[in-house]
Amino acid sequence: MTVEAPPTPHARRTSPLIVLLHTVTFRQARGFVPAALGIGAAVGVNGGRGAVIGMVVAVTLVSLATAALSWWRFSYVDGPTTLVVTRGLLARSVRTVPNDRIRGVEVEATALHRVFGLVRVRIDAAAGAVSGKEEELVVDGVTRAEGDRLRSVLLTRRPTRTAARPEDDAAPEPLPAEEEFAHFDNRWLLYAPLVGGYLVLPLAAVGALFRLADELPGNLTPDLPGPDALDARVVAIAVAVAVVVLVAGAVVGAAVVNWGFRLTRRGGSLLAVRGLITRRHTELEIDRIRGVTLAEGLGMRLVRAARVSALVTGLGDAARRGQLLPLGPREEALQLGHRLVDDPGPLHRHPPAARRRRLSRAMTPGVVVAVVGAVLTATDGWWWLLVAGAVLAVLGIPLGLGRYASLGSVAGTTSFSVRSGWLSREQAVLQRRAVVGWSVQQSFFQRRAGLATVVACVGAGSGGYAAVDLAAQDVPRFALAASEPWAGTLEPRVAAPSLG
Amino acid sequence: MTTAPPPVRMPAWPLSRSAIWLWVTQGLVSALALGVAATVFTVFVPHEGGPLPLLRWAVPAAAAVYAVVAVGIRPVFRYRVHRWEVTGDAVFTLTGWLTRTWTLVPIARIQTVDVTRGVLQQLFGLASVAVLTASSQGTVRVPNLELDVAQRMAEDLAHRAEAVRDEAT
Repeated sequence: MTVEAPPTPHARRTSPLIVLLHTVTFRQARGFVPAALGIGAAVGVNGGRGAVIGMVVAVTLVSLATAALSWWRFSYVDGPTTLVVTRGLLARSVRTVPNDRIRGVEVEATALHRVFGLVRVRIDAAAGAVSGKEEELVVDGVTRAEGDRLRSVLLTRRPTRTAARPEDDAAPEPLPAEEEFAHFDNRWLLYAPLVGGYLVLPLAAVGALFRLADELPGNLTPDLPGPDALDARVVAIAVAVAVVVLVAGAVVGAAVVNWGFRLTRRGGSLLAVRGLITRRHTELEIDRIRGVTLAEGLGMRLVRAARVSALVTGLGDAARRGQLLPLGPREEALQLGHRLVDDPGPLHRHPPAARRRRLSRAMTPGVVVAVVGAVLTATDGWWWLLVAGAVLAVLGIPLGLGRYASLGSVAGTTSFSVRSGWLSREQAVLQRRAVVGWSVQQSFFQRRAGLATVVACVGAGSGGYAAVDLAAQDVPRFALAASEPWAGTLEPRVAAPSLG
Repeated sequence: MTTAPPPVRMPAWPLSRSAIWLWVTQGLVSALALGVAATVFTVFVPHEGGPLPLLRWAVPAAAAVYAVVAVGIRPVFRYRVHRWEVTGDAVFTLTGWLTRTWTLVPIARIQTVDVTRGVLQQLFGLASVAVLTASSQGTVRVPNLELDVAQRMAEDLAHRAEAVRDEAT
């Protein structure tokens, strides 16, 4: 990466208001909390209103100081070809990112940011080998106008286009025509209680409440009646209340995250806006989209709901940023998916051997438990383990059949699709050009059953999408149909010379 | 084992024969570690109580079986499974032991080629080649080639990838 001096070298700063915001949230000071606790314990803060107030003032002052320092030490320059971010309290760090390495820009505003009229800009720079958070540059605390300017400048100033366009920092270019791809209908929030991810939200909240209740001093906790009051009616009411809380919590959680979701195409990119308290603007380049996934969990399938995500090359935090439709009816989801990737046609079922394999895999744990149970019944008279094993084995039948029904794959003219999973079923529709390699796996049992699992390696999303338990002789044909001619290497040679 | 044909073509070239001895050495090391652990277990575990009498002979027996498999059987088996090939437009390997994995990566999508040499590999004059793509799952690994073969392969691949590289993602 070469560092070239930009012709407009005036460094920009974030708004000083961010110092206030970070002081309030203790953003930088959080790192000192363990140390402060240690000091507090060593000195011995034994009650006394004065000591507490002193602590609070000290912590706030430290927070203010660190926030001010890091604001003072932070600057960025968006040159014509690179973005340079300088920061660091003690150790200075200067990061230079060429504009053509920027894969996405996200503008988000938490509730506090909105109070101050500020936004946080996250710049996803594909740094390659560096993993995790390091790939992301964060410019926290610029005005909304500056945030929008940064986003449009960083994403439009591509090397191919800069040649034609004269550099002009101040004037934002005229916005290309917008086209709406999807928008969230608030009725879809009713799907939320059937989606695992949203059900976790109220559970987490309840857990936090319990922890809080544990830490309350004894005289504040109400006197709860003992276990003798737990008759059937109380239990029923408690369960009903819990269900209502769970359902309501899931709906509220989904509303907070997805409120006002809107997906639009603006020129060559997709822009997603969402969030009730924290507003997020995420921009994805259509040219980098290699496919889409359609996720339908078990609960979602009951009401024909689905979720669509884009598979974008080099996108960090893809699970969140790639979302194209967070929750919606299946038809809507399919339509949206087909607007981005061609429909490869209906999925083909996998061979009957695949069903036998799914069934035996689903029933094996139950059978093993039952065998152990049978031995124990004979030796120690532990019959309940035998019963549990039998029940597990019988439950394995619908599970195995369900898992088999999920399997499917098809290769169309420009795209292909694979589907698997039962509790969370996922269908990936990928473009031919997405495939950067094939991996064919065959276990001992698959070899005997004449099956093989084919994984399309893709530089986006989870990195690989598998057609599970394809008939072994169909593997080369599928791979060749779903990717470019190099996959012909997999084709078995007719009358191959036997090599020692 | 059945005589069912493999689902895809076999890559043409075997690994270096020294790979067998490397794997034998690795098996010996892990078998020794396991043997020590099993000995400690039999010496220090009490003689009575629950399934302990059974475990007192089952654990050393399992360790012995592992040693036989890891030293006597697995290396030869692995050597016979592992194959690799560089064709006109792709790199192709077959790896594994009980579960076999064929991996095919087109040269146009190669991002980096790594040659690594572990301590034991240096003793046997071997090196491993890893061919990386944009996908975390699309990595071709050829373990235990002769050092000069590995280096020639890496140079050749890097050179050709540069010549035909497209977007690589």
